[in-house]
Amino acid sequence: MNLMRRGIFFYAICCAWLLSVPQVSYGQMSEMESLKALVRDIGERLQGALKRIEELEKEKAASAGKIEQLEQDKVASGSRLGQVEKSVRAVQSAPMALNPAIGMVIDATAEHRAKTGGNFNFRTAELGIAASIDPFARAYAFIGAKKDEVELEEATIVTTALPWNLTARAGRLFADFGRLPKYHADSLPFVNFPLSLERIAGGESKSDGVELSYLFPTPFFLRGTVGGYNKIGEENERLDDTKSRAWSRFTYLSRLHSYFDISDDHSIEMGTSMAYTPSIRIPEDPHGGSRTLTGVDLTYRYQPLGSTFHQGLTIGGELFGNSERVGRASGFRRTFAPGGYAYAEAKLSREWAAGFLFDHAPSLSSPGKKTIGYSPFLTWNLSEFNRLRFQYSFLDDKVKEQKTEQGHQFFLQWTTFLGSHAHGFRVR
Amino acid sequence: MKIKLDAKWLIFGVLLLLFCSPGRLLFAQQVRVITTTPELADITKQIGKELVNVESLTKGVEFMHAVPVKPSFVPKLNRADILVAMGLDLEISWLPSLLEVANNSKILPGQRGNIDCSVGINVLEVSRTVDRSEGDVHPKGNPHYNLDPLSGKIIALNIADGLVRNYPQHKTVFEKNLSAYLAELDKAIARWQAMAAPLKGVKIVTYHVEWSYFANRFGLQQVGMIEFKPGIEPTPNHLVSLAQKMQQEKTQLIIYGAQSDRFPRQLASQTGAAVVRLQSIAGGSPETDTYIKFIDYNLRSLLAAVKKG
Repeated sequence: MNLMRRGIFFYAICCAWLLSVPQVSYGQMSEMESLKALVRDIGERLQGALKRIEELEKEKAASAGKIEQLEQDKVASGSRLGQVEKSVRAVQSAPMALNPAIGMVIDATAEHRAKTGGNFNFRTAELGIAASIDPFARAYAFIGAKKDEVELEEATIVTTALPWNLTARAGRLFADFGRLPKYHADSLPFVNFPLSLERIAGGESKSDGVELSYLFPTPFFLRGTVGGYNKIGEENERLDDTKSRAWSRFTYLSRLHSYFDISDDHSIEMGTSMAYTPSIRIPEDPHGGSRTLTGVDLTYRYQPLGSTFHQGLTIGGELFGNSERVGRASGFRRTFAPGGYAYAEAKLSREWAAGFLFDHAPSLSSPGKKTIGYSPFLTWNLSEFNRLRFQYSFLDDKVKEQKTEQGHQFFLQWTTFLGSHAHGFRVR
Repeated sequence: MKIKLDAKWLIFGVLLLLFCSPGRLLFAQQVRVITTTPELADITKQIGKELVNVESLTKGVEFMHAVPVKPSFVPKLNRADILVAMGLDLEISWLPSLLEVANNSKILPGQRGNIDCSVGINVLEVSRTVDRSEGDVHPKGNPHYNLDPLSGKIIALNIADGLVRNYPQHKTVFEKNLSAYLAELDKAIARWQAMAAPLKGVKIVTYHVEWSYFANRFGLQQVGMIEFKPGIEPTPNHLVSLAQKMQQEKTQLIIYGAQSDRFPRQLASQTGAAVVRLQSIAGGSPETDTYIKFIDYNLRSLLAAVKKG
């Protein structure tokens, strides 16, 4: 197009030159006038031609845009076709696609305790599976294989479409008591459950039962839970949950859980829980008696949004209180045993984190006697799915129930996650 | 028994009602849309205009694979009519846990209220073998397609499709707004393609595999990645071999986003390449509060770095 424009322009210049050179005599003036008119005419035609060229260039640019658009549409259509092909393949492989998500955690430690010596402790190989059941419910299960036993840790059905912001859970589940009692040991920020949690709350809040949660329609997060269970706590021996019994020999729970963003980077999470058992089994005491387990949990987090992978601080703690009748030399008496733990963990980089755990664990029968624990720990996350942790603990033990709960202790823990691994919202 | 209506109590009652349901009364006509990223919020606003009330869960400064699972997101998801997400598992580490407790079945994946913006994207880097020995790979392919402005058009189409699917009575308005936005985006794309001419053939190293779509669109050549594998921090050996490769290939730029600048600076001092921090999602600063401004900002930052280098 440019070449054409140049040609026309050159031609016009030549014509103008030829026609304007003073080679004519005065006698030829009228002829000259007509030639000038011709030049003007050629000039006008030239302007018209240039205008047309410009128009054609614009049309060409517009066509190029359209072509590009068509090409993009073609790519998009191709991609959409690809999606359809993928969907067809997914349907063809539906039996496999409908399998639940499966994962496994392997958790082992090398330990040395001053009072009992060393041990390679294979803590668990925990198989986890999860899937939707139908449009109304989903389910998940965790099966833990330990040194000498295989145990069903959780097998829980959860509703997904109840009205009025309600969610029901049933089966074998970790009851909604406190914060860390709902964690599996592999998800803890340190190596072991705090001794206070083990003694007072009975370790993991493993239960058989049913619970109902309600998400309040507030601008901030506020959730309430009520539940009924055979018993709460892995180590809880107060109730015999192997046979039918009076409804007074069950445990009933209530919990309120809230969370506030102080700013984009700082937040506070808090909860309060109470588990009440109207009548517990007490050996050699026909009267039994009620048991009330209370808990308050508080967690502060600093998570700078722009660098959550590299920086952060968590300060958390829980206070527990256990009130029940216990046997003494002078007879049976109601006793209240308070205890708890607090910890801080700082994220030093994407891979490294360090922290400190303080633990205050009373004896349930003699709350005046207690074990105080101090545990610095260092975590190395090789990746999101592969973690090494070193922990030193010193336990100042006045309870003297078990040798494993005394003196200096060293742990090197290796935890790995295979496949899909998610304990969900509770383990954040 | 006579009941006396006290004006004070009447006013109190009305105020109480207003307090208890402010959202329902004030935004009764608006569709409540929650998006996972600010650019999705911007594009949804452009298409929905006054018919939608849009909020993004992330602010734009986060690394999308490390967004904290904040319970404060739960009430927002609980009340949403529509959830707009990037998809391709970009939000896999945080969104499913929140949806688990949000008690809102209409925005769950696959439901009408869930708009997946990745439908129709020509996905790059779909792994043939999905195995964690390759790092934290995304089985469905690279999910950072928002960095290609042509994908912005597909995002807009998907959002418009989703809004029309849920609110067919507003189809004409959504489609008119979509056309206007696509025209605006087309103009910007033409401008960016002209602007990006000096970037053609420029060799880059990126921290994470976020920039493939962007590099493809504007002709940048990716020489390597700082991460050892996606999601895995570099080993000392990896850094040594990467520095050698950068020198051999005459790499000009090291690009990073919401990651630490430690390794980019270290490599820059060894190789002489320039370091530039870009944004992989919109909204991180006032200069990137819309999708168009976000692409513009990244392009200008890169051009400035190339010019300086």
